Amino acid sequence: MEQEVIVEQKEIVEQEDFVVQMRGISKVYPNGIAANKDVDFLLRRGEIHAIMGENGAGKSTLMKILFGLEQPTSGEILINGQPVAITSPSKAISLGIGMVHQHFMLVPSLTVAENIVLGMAPTNKSRLLVDYKKAVQIAEENAARYNLRIDPNAKVMDIPVGMKQKVEILKALVRGAKILILDEPTAVLTTQETSELFKELVALKDQGFTIVFISHKLKEIKQITDRLTIMRGGRSMGVYNTADISESEISRLMVGRDVVLKVVKDKSQPTETVLKVRDLEYTNRWNKKMLDKVSFSVRKGEILGIAGVEGNGQRELVEMLFNLNVPDAGTVTVCGDSIVNLSQDKIRNRGVSLVPEDRMTYGIADIATIEENVISDRFGTKRFNKGPLFNMREIHHESQNLIVDYRILAKSFKQQVKMLSGGNIQKVVVARELSSKPTLLIADQPTRGIDVGATEFIRNEIVELSRGGTAVLLVSADLNEVIELSDSLIVMYGGKIVAYFEDSSQLDDVTMGEYMLGLKHQTEEEIAKVSYE
Amino acid sequence: MSDRRLILFNLLRGLAAILLALAVAAIFIFISSEEPLTALKYLLLGPVVSFKATGNVFNTTSFLTILAAMIPTIFSGLAVCVMFSANQFNLAGEGAIMLGGFVGALLGIYLKLNTGLHQVVCVLAGALAGGLIMLIPAVLKVKLGASEMVTSLMMNYVVMFVILHFLNFVFADRSKGATQTFPFLETAKIPEIVANGTKLTWGFVVALIFVVIIALFMYRTKWGYAIRMIGINQSFAQYSGMQVGAVIVLSQVIGGMLSGMGGSIEVLGRFSTFLWRELPGYGWLGITIAILAKNNPIFVPFAAFFIAYLNKGCDLMATYSDVPSEMIDIIQAAIFLFFAAEQFLAKYRQRIVVRNAQRDLALQEAAASQGGSNS
Repeated sequence: MEQEVIVEQKEIVEQEDFVVQMRGISKVYPNGIAANKDVDFLLRRGEIHAIMGENGAGKSTLMKILFGLEQPTSGEILINGQPVAITSPSKAISLGIGMVHQHFMLVPSLTVAENIVLGMAPTNKSRLLVDYKKAVQIAEENAARYNLRIDPNAKVMDIPVGMKQKVEILKALVRGAKILILDEPTAVLTTQETSELFKELVALKDQGFTIVFISHKLKEIKQITDRLTIMRGGRSMGVYNTADISESEISRLMVGRDVVLKVVKDKSQPTETVLKVRDLEYTNRWNKKMLDKVSFSVRKGEILGIAGVEGNGQRELVEMLFNLNVPDAGTVTVCGDSIVNLSQDKIRNRGVSLVPEDRMTYGIADIATIEENVISDRFGTKRFNKGPLFNMREIHHESQNLIVDYRILAKSFKQQVKMLSGGNIQKVVVARELSSKPTLLIADQPTRGIDVGATEFIRNEIVELSRGGTAVLLVSADLNEVIELSDSLIVMYGGKIVAYFEDSSQLDDVTMGEYMLGLKHQTEEEIAKVSYE
Repeated sequence: MSDRRLILFNLLRGLAAILLALAVAAIFIFISSEEPLTALKYLLLGPVVSFKATGNVFNTTSFLTILAAMIPTIFSGLAVCVMFSANQFNLAGEGAIMLGGFVGALLGIYLKLNTGLHQVVCVLAGALAGGLIMLIPAVLKVKLGASEMVTSLMMNYVVMFVILHFLNFVFADRSKGATQTFPFLETAKIPEIVANGTKLTWGFVVALIFVVIIALFMYRTKWGYAIRMIGINQSFAQYSGMQVGAVIVLSQVIGGMLSGMGGSIEVLGRFSTFLWRELPGYGWLGITIAILAKNNPIFVPFAAFFIAYLNKGCDLMATYSDVPSEMIDIIQAAIFLFFAAEQFLAKYRQRIVVRNAQRDLALQEAAASQGGSNS
């Protein structure tokens, strides 16, 4: 299969007229993560080109390099055949590259017209004051020319998401962009807004613009793009004509496993039910239904995995389980007691612990020491206090033990956590959460972005904990991880559970990919089996 | 070792900020003065040296008055340390000091107790009043999400005018020309350590004791720990199961109590009647001091000394040369600017951080490869 890819790339290279040629791009971040490995990306003039891949596949990094937000570690970039160094976004803009970020970069309190001309506002004769009329005129002219309907006098905070996106696109066009990069443009849009956007993009293409479209939604890609580049694990998996490749082929290339890290574990012997989630529903503040009648159970001694492409409700689900957010409807019980609306210390007292997805936000206090980080859930207990004062000996003892047990590579427990590498920071979080001997462990992306050694260690610790009788709920966008680590598995897509596999050991990537990308789903009876009493 | 280098860097950075600020001051002095060298001499050496025709000698009295001036600012500096550590930008130290002073003064006038006990009761009541008044911005923040910075800042003036009302219309001693209370009872006055007129009272010793207490509180108790963790990362604290709201209130109540205590000690030690007719300014100094001390209680006395020394120097400079005492505002603003600017010398700090990270990474790789060959 690898050879096919190379042949196909060669054919493409021989053709002419590329507006962008990125060759042999590699990017190693300062924390040692290699986000791009020898990637070739070629963009033909006037095409809509998709970059597909899971989160962490390196597509955003590649586009950040093209837009000058990141510098490649090696490789070259040619724009219209000329080698260039894109050192900043303003350099990229001057080369005719515009980017529409997933999170809009607009000033909410200014009007649409003001946002469009921001930083290049027309001035009146005095050269000091903004000529607002002229700004509106510029906005209207461009809106008409590119057929993007906007209201130039409305404040950005008052307009719907779809229009904000058009404002972003116009902002780029007004600045002379000929190449537009759209980062997951449909993630925030309703179906109608999406189809409107597609019409506009096609119209832009007809006017000679080149569009790069980052997404992992298969149907949209098939609908609108001419060609697509698939990325996985920082590498390009090849370039294809959209018409020539099937959806299941794309999904295989996107979510296939690179290196299979085997996890050795005995068969699970699940006993009584610990976590029971029933009919959980949640609509976010942008009126998007993130959880739709989600029901499942996790039993003592088993690892239940939740697979799915990110953004399909997994994050919201975990937030509900730890009272970081409140569901609209439904129940969550741990050992029979409801935990909805309980404060975090009460939830923790019931034996629940959480390895959070975002370790820098929830997992650690970055400028505090390792010691201060590992005691954050237990510092009030009798063991660590002597009268009104801390029992420092006991605290040093505990943190020293955890550093040894969880193989945290640090000079001492007095070291600031932010000085550690990503893998060791995660070990600090895992050490705290696993050493409290939880009844229920929720592990949300427990090994994201960390090195192989730490990954393997953390996975083994989770298995050991579950075999010791802890119920484990594992949420991971890493297909290899959920399949290898889980005993049974559910798949989430669009806020719903779309599949349940009682035994995950026999699963393969192709089947999983189809469920994860919404091409298939099981019947309600099959899914209902995961709701044990 | 690398962390030690970072600490050393922070110390050097503080020193550099002070030196740069003094350099800025020197520039202004050279611009505004006919005799800049005399002015600088008084600014930098005046507070501890007597310049006499027969030679320069160490001025003990002057030195002791500097220590005396530190008493209220150590308290207000500690108060700000505690509140800022919880990431609460509460600026009501000013009002709490005035209120603490006023309450302590009233009890010192109207309560009849034996000396010893009398001062303790007055100071504790002042602390209590300061703590209670801080509940207002703290509870508003926790329950309603109102910015404590805004409410506390406005509250200062409410407190001041309420006190002025009572001072003018209820407790004023009508026999005096100026508006002031009746004199404190002798039993309530806080005596000087050595009766020499420097106003260096036993309050100074109490202030130093509280430096130790607050340092222990912040670094050796579960409450101080919770305050610091909430200040560093509130989401983390909440997720860890800390009572975030309660701790935020606690931090500000403690800040208020320290301020109130400082106010009452100052009033009962320095004066014989209550005669503050406006906010005394110690609360603002407390903010400067806490920033200089990087919110670490142990550094508060040093920062307070620096500020008191500078104040004294500026006073002398204004008296014996032609530079206006407002110069101190410029110096303070400059120090503030250099200290508070996180970006100050950030490039060099980043270099240290990166170098450390790289060395750690190399160490780690070495360890990993070793581990690999062992297994």
